[in-house]
Amino acid sequence: MNSATARRDGIKHAFLWPAFLVVLLISLFPLIYALTVSFQTMRIVPPMPPRFVGVQNYAEILASARFWGSMWTTAVITVLSVVLEYILGFALALALHHNVPGASLYRVTFLLPMFLAPVGVALIARMVFHPYLGPVNDLMGALGVGNLPFLTEPNLAMAVLITVEVWQWTPFVTLLLLAGLQSLPGEVFEAARVDNVPVWRRFWDITFPMLLPLSVAVVFIRLIEGFKVIDTVFVLTGGGPGTSTETLTLFAYNEGFKKFNIGMTSALSFTFLVVVIVFGTVYLALAQRLTRRYA
Amino acid sequence: MAHVEMEQVSKSFGTATVIPPLDLSIRDGEFLVLVGPSGCGKTTTLRMLAGLETVSGGRIAIGGRDVTHARPGERDIAMVFQNYALYPHMTVRDNIGYAMRVHGTDRGTIDARVAEASRLLGLEPYLDRKPRNLSGGQRQRVAIGRALVRHPQVFLFDEPLSNLDAKLRVEMRTEIKLLQRRLGTTAVYVTHDQVEAMTMADRVVVMRAGVIEQAADPITLYERPANRFVANFIGSPAMNFLPARIERGAVHLVSQVLPLPPEEAARLRERGDVLFGIRPEHMRPSAHQASLTLEPRAIEPLGPHTLVLGDVGGHRVTAQVDPRFPVQVGQPCVVTVDMTQAHFFDPVTEARL
Repeated sequence: MNSATARRDGIKHAFLWPAFLVVLLISLFPLIYALTVSFQTMRIVPPMPPRFVGVQNYAEILASARFWGSMWTTAVITVLSVVLEYILGFALALALHHNVPGASLYRVTFLLPMFLAPVGVALIARMVFHPYLGPVNDLMGALGVGNLPFLTEPNLAMAVLITVEVWQWTPFVTLLLLAGLQSLPGEVFEAARVDNVPVWRRFWDITFPMLLPLSVAVVFIRLIEGFKVIDTVFVLTGGGPGTSTETLTLFAYNEGFKKFNIGMTSALSFTFLVVVIVFGTVYLALAQRLTRRYA
Repeated sequence: MAHVEMEQVSKSFGTATVIPPLDLSIRDGEFLVLVGPSGCGKTTTLRMLAGLETVSGGRIAIGGRDVTHARPGERDIAMVFQNYALYPHMTVRDNIGYAMRVHGTDRGTIDARVAEASRLLGLEPYLDRKPRNLSGGQRQRVAIGRALVRHPQVFLFDEPLSNLDAKLRVEMRTEIKLLQRRLGTTAVYVTHDQVEAMTMADRVVVMRAGVIEQAADPITLYERPANRFVANFIGSPAMNFLPARIERGAVHLVSQVLPLPPEEAARLRERGDVLFGIRPEHMRPSAHQASLTLEPRAIEPLGPHTLVLGDVGGHRVTAQVDPRFPVQVGQPCVVTVDMTQAHFFDPVTEARL
């Protein structure tokens, strides 16, 4: 290499380093910082100087019943709501795709919940499910069931949280699956019609397998997003009654911003990351086996 | 006996009429080709026959049964689509056998029919492949296999070869034709390619703007086109058309006189305005020949013969001549015209005279 090309080659550093440093600063630094903190005890209130404690934070987390409880809560909310979102979303997408009367009106209204801020949705839900003032209990009263303690009985509270999640995020599933349906080749379905394949078989044998790769992606996105649920829970139940609806993220939040135990919170965040990665990997492995059977 | 009968079948989308009332009857075992430029309604006609498009009026019967309002699946037809329309997630074997499996045909029969179809179409080595691992020609064979295992009353083909390359298209058209002969199943085939139409059909239906211009066997279509549109559409390179007069037993072009054979002259008598049509390949010597002088603009040597693209009195004329024919761009040349092959059309109605 002669000196001229070497000089020209040197320019690459001028282009590379700024970008690399920015990435390092804004994305890697916080992660690395949080990781270091997770191995220390650090409190803001009352202020305590950081002290290295090794994996003690993690050991404490794994030994705490509250952690396992929040883990279970998160899993239940996520899995049930994603399953319901997928089934409902697919049904709605099919209905919209086949142009039921008034489809264009539904197309807009069905998408609305998705555009609302989760906190807003939770506030609305809190009013709707209010034990004395909410319309749901008015209905229950009218049906003769009487007032139900929607937000203060553990199982009902979970059901409400799942309902709110499903209400808000089904449109997302509908939107993506509708786009998927519309991109499927029409001739294939015409061929099936000519071959006298009944509607139900057309769905199970053709539509569903052809949308399977997209479904896997949609469910994956919703699972990851669902795991991070905090705002709805925070506003609706605050993790209560007791800690019966406390999710992982809310647990971490409470540790960090109620007890100001930063070391513990960081450790929780990393545990959460590991949990998400493990769940995600297991899901993808299962999904891959399923798609390989079809694709 | 007519096997497929379309009576006064029409189609409109809103106020736009795509197919005005149309009559067409197809004999049992006939290979009928619908041909025409894009937008002429040939595909719509086929889709109405398949039931994929509802009819706005009229009646369709297949095998003596009225199917005008029957679902596609109830018509006992099989269709081959332009884009193959294979089920992408199924193997070739499953694609071919799927419809039978859905209808509860027993395993043995399915296997036997799939084996028979794949043998007929040379698909045996690919039975366990997915469509995406097949070439275009193989995919189209699978689509044909899927149609023929059902032993339908009628095969419908919607431009099945237009996605294939030229060489494969020639091979496949022979294959489809032979297969249809062997099975003896009535077939309706849509194409925009007049060569495909001519080579495959027992009878060709030329359509324009939803109207049947002529329905006849390929040779009649070529030798006695019913009107200028058909004459222009069938044959390649296309027929030449020149405005002319017929006087004293001869065709008078601007300043040229081409004598007619006596019987033609007697039939046509004197006419003021006619359209004189002559195919490029009929510029050849014969018992009744005439000379036509043209101004060559371009010369296209094709090997077996040469095309001279020229000009006669401001009208473009293509002549097909021998490769050794002496011709140079810009220097007027004289070609021989076989006047027994001349066509005459009414300049207003464009109908054959």
